[in-house]
Amino acid sequence: MTTFKKLWRFLSSMKFAIILLVILAVACSLASLVTQGQDYAWYAQRYSERTAALILALGLDDAFHSVWFIAITAFLCINLLLCNVLRLPGLIRRTKSESDPAKVLDAAGDISVENVRDPESVFKRLGMKPIKVEGREAYFAAKHRAGLWGAWVCHLGILLLILGFGLGQATQKQYAVYGVPGTSKPIGDTEYALTIDDFRVGLREDDTVEQYTADITVRDLSEKGIGSSESASISVNHPATLYGMKFYQNSTGWAATVHITKDGKPLQEEVLCAGEYLLVKDKPELAIYLSAFYPDYVMTPGVGPSTASGALNNPAYLYQVYYQEQVLGMNILMPEEELTIDEYTVTFSDPQNYTLIQIKRDRFTPLALAGGLITLLGLILALYLQPARVWAIRTENGWTIRGQCRKGGALFRERFMKAIQTEEV
Amino acid sequence: MLQVENTLFTIVMLLYFAAMICYFLFIAVKKDGMAKTAIILQSAGLVLHTAALVCRGIGAGRLPLTNQYEFATAFAWGLSLVSLIFVIRFKFPVLGAFAAPVTFLVIGYAAMQSKEVKELMPALRSNWLGFHVSTAIIAYGAFGVSFVLGIIFLLRDRMRASGFLDSHIPDKEKLDIISYRSVSLGLLFLSFTIITGAIWAERAWGSYWSWDPKETWSLVTWIIYAAYLHLRIRRGWQGKAAAIFAVAGFICVMFTYIGVNTFLPGVHSYA
Ligand code: HEM
Repeated sequence: MTTFKKLWRFLSSMKFAIILLVILAVACSLASLVTQGQDYAWYAQRYSERTAALILALGLDDAFHSVWFIAITAFLCINLLLCNVLRLPGLIRRTKSESDPAKVLDAAGDISVENVRDPESVFKRLGMKPIKVEGREAYFAAKHRAGLWGAWVCHLGILLLILGFGLGQATQKQYAVYGVPGTSKPIGDTEYALTIDDFRVGLREDDTVEQYTADITVRDLSEKGIGSSESASISVNHPATLYGMKFYQNSTGWAATVHITKDGKPLQEEVLCAGEYLLVKDKPELAIYLSAFYPDYVMTPGVGPSTASGALNNPAYLYQVYYQEQVLGMNILMPEEELTIDEYTVTFSDPQNYTLIQIKRDRFTPLALAGGLITLLGLILALYLQPARVWAIRTENGWTIRGQCRKGGALFRERFMKAIQTEEV
Repeated sequence: MLQVENTLFTIVMLLYFAAMICYFLFIAVKKDGMAKTAIILQSAGLVLHTAALVCRGIGAGRLPLTNQYEFATAFAWGLSLVSLIFVIRFKFPVLGAFAAPVTFLVIGYAAMQSKEVKELMPALRSNWLGFHVSTAIIAYGAFGVSFVLGIIFLLRDRMRASGFLDSHIPDKEKLDIISYRSVSLGLLFLSFTIITGAIWAERAWGSYWSWDPKETWSLVTWIIYAAYLHLRIRRGWQGKAAAIFAVAGFICVMFTYIGVNTFLPGVHSYA
């Protein structure tokens, strides 16, 4: 055999498949032990500098997108594809011959019993419908032929699943828009804009959150679609698809209105989400940062500020003031309290929830889903439909019944014998 | 209702314990009658266990499959159900004797969890969660049975010394095929678990697969059982190697179930 042929054989072999599966299992488990997506400093602090260097060198910080992980998966795909392509002709042949009595009548079968009196009732007890074989005094029945295709269908499903997932990873687009009701923002680099019309937090009687719901409108800003818009109401577990993009109610946080006055006169008023800056209008080197908001503020010595519940019982704002990117100060501000910086006075009011909406476009999700469902179908066929054949041939003293079920093994033989024994003693 | 569930749960634990003792006695004193008693006790336990789960569902006003306690007791239920079916279908009480301690350990683990009924966070309020977890219970139960079968397979030669066990443990070919049946059941249901989980994650988080440790470990488990299926087909690997994979697979199941929450961070941290 030439080296090339040997390689070809190996690439399409089940041995290679088992090796790849084991490698993949080991790779996944190793990767799951390392927290993904951190940087050198993080790993160095967590483990040691040597380990950190090793993790980065091996790509274990982003294992599932690393070259070696993709290579293993690619080999698995090649293996699966070759295996399925090469096995197809044989499979078609077997499917045909499986229901052809001429091919099997004179074979030994997995099991054989002689001198049976009533073959038809045996077939019946095995749940099989026999046909009379033409030109011979014989019966033949085949069952669960579809099971022959189980592994093939399952392998096809996995291929499609991996393909759908891979293409999705490579081409998907993700964006996020957050804000309080009334906010309108462009969606990333698309030609669409998202308006948050309303946002509600549904509370149960015990103040736990039952549901977050946002009403949104998406406008098409392109020349073709100008003026057109689509609206939907989204909540957790109930995303909506608008203009081919899927919108998810992802998370929420607090926002508040910041008022700045200068020398007693109103200067600026804006809604700020926790984690956002506001540059003072006529003095941009001065910035107000809303670090956090506590709806039910409590101060625990040694622990720091926190909130006792989600209800607006005792609102408090944690702010920082920056001057030329240096922290000037930070503190807690209660609703009526004023913060004075030179001629400026800052107050916070009207706490409200903002929503973070995640937007995603992945055209290959349906392919991956189809792959998953086909895999399932294949598994059902392969594992639950065991192709079986039973045939009966007339002999001098009655009938000889034989059966064959490769996957049934001892269990098939037991069932077979039981079907016969209830008949004959 | 929750009070009733509490009482039932205690009775169920006692019944499973009694069944386990009877299974052990069956092996120790070699009397078939003991096996019958064990099966009856386990069946009674299973019926009351089902009632307990129903009571919890009514008491909590939702599917009782959302926190550590609920999942642990349902896992024990799945183990008990699948092992009982296999014991009866294959007339194999020795399997019951090996499965009973596993079931008892899992229900014991459940007993140590907090039984408090908590309201669900929005992400958990989905019908897909019901499909996801109920298929997982059957899968885990079936894998528990394959684990036990793998152990029996590996210990068979050592246990054969007594003639009694000889007639109560199937030969290796049949053991292998019974194990194949349980892995088939488990793998099919694990596939349902993973797919319904992916559909749910897509709806709740916008991503159907994000390599969260629990997802990754369920994939590892799935791959190991897929490897088991292929090993079985290869001549010469049937039997011992496959049995080792069946045991290793269940260790992965347990790691996915308990280890991941304990040692690794991820979105599954609530359950
Ligand atoms: C994740 C990957 C894979 C999965 C989940 C999978 C699944 C299956 C299943 C369920 C069966 C049926 C087993 C049975 O009837 O007991 C099977 C059989 C088989 N698989 Fe795979 N497989 C995978 C990868 C591969 C690969 C890469 C090959 C490449 C050679 C392969 C070759 C085979 C062969 C030759 C059979 C026997 C088919 C038969 O008996 O009709 N498998 N596979």
